[in-house]
Amino acid sequence: MGVLRDMLTALRGGASEVGEAIVDANAIRILEQEIRDAEAAIGSAKQSLTRMKSSEIKLKREMATLDADVADYEQKAVAALNAGEEALATEVAERIAELESDRNDKGTEQAALDAEINKIHAMIKARERTIQKNKRELDKVRTVQELQRATESVSRNFAATGSSSHRVSAALERVKAKQENWQDRMQAGEWLEGEEAGDDIDAKLRAKGIGASGSSGANDVLARLKARQAG
Amino acid sequence: MILDDLAFRLNEYSGEEGTTFDALVTERGILEVVCSNNDEFPIHLTTTETQLLSVTPLFAVAEVQPGKLDELNRTFLQLSPAVPLSSVGLQGDTYILFGSMALSTRFEVVAHELEVQAENTIDVLEAVEHLLA
Repeated sequence: MGVLRDMLTALRGGASEVGEAIVDANAIRILEQEIRDAEAAIGSAKQSLTRMKSSEIKLKREMATLDADVADYEQKAVAALNAGEEALATEVAERIAELESDRNDKGTEQAALDAEINKIHAMIKARERTIQKNKRELDKVRTVQELQRATESVSRNFAATGSSSHRVSAALERVKAKQENWQDRMQAGEWLEGEEAGDDIDAKLRAKGIGASGSSGANDVLARLKARQAG
Repeated sequence: MILDDLAFRLNEYSGEEGTTFDALVTERGILEVVCSNNDEFPIHLTTTETQLLSVTPLFAVAEVQPGKLDELNRTFLQLSPAVPLSSVGLQGDTYILFGSMALSTRFEVVAHELEVQAENTIDVLEAVEHLLA
């Protein structure tokens, strides 16, 4: 089911009012139920899978034993033939035939079990796809519901201000004014930093006796005055 | 609750460009964030099971100049690819700018996305300002 299509249908049907459920609650319940059903099905499928796996392991073990027995009896049959014990060799051959028939039966059983296991794996994958798909659909629904909730309070404010003319322009202007103000302050800050850095250089130069002479103390003033008087 | 934690961290945080945040979880469980780079259009955050949704309500359909709705919608469709991390949409009768992030998104990335969304809001509104009443 396509939740988006349902939502659009609901919107076209006039369910555009904020707060109105634009997704049928029933549709959500169905999605959730499908997820739960699929999860339950996967749970029981995994249980039977475990059972089948243990049967398969048992079968394989039995088949390996039968193979070993066949090989063993084959050696013995050859030995009997070599010893000229034709009758005994025939008896052993009959035993081998029995074992092989038994082994073939088990092989068929195992193939059937394998097919069944594959089917269950495919079923689990299909259910998992259903779960994932439904979860994505549910997430779409929740997204829409949450977007609606997140928008609601402010839209009420828009309504309250009677969408006064130039509301957006005025707000934009205020934001831009603040940004300019902020940029001015940044620039002022940079200027001040530059100034302070300059002061530092002057101070360093003074310390090295370069540039402006050090603090023109009282002695300097006195010396200057005396020089003027003398002159 | 992820939104409470996000609010706490945003209030303490200052972005790389010096952006600060005022974050508050409302009674309705919506996280309202005012970014210092655009304090006129707060961002509303909410969550689904997998996503963090950020919504900036822009203006109501009623605020569009009569007869300019088609032009506005076309402009928005053209603008959308230019602001790939936030999309413009219509929620009920309100135009919104919105974005979504995985719930596992790192905090610094969330803060940056909010900063960008606040900035995009100004850009987008400037582009359609002349169509609004």
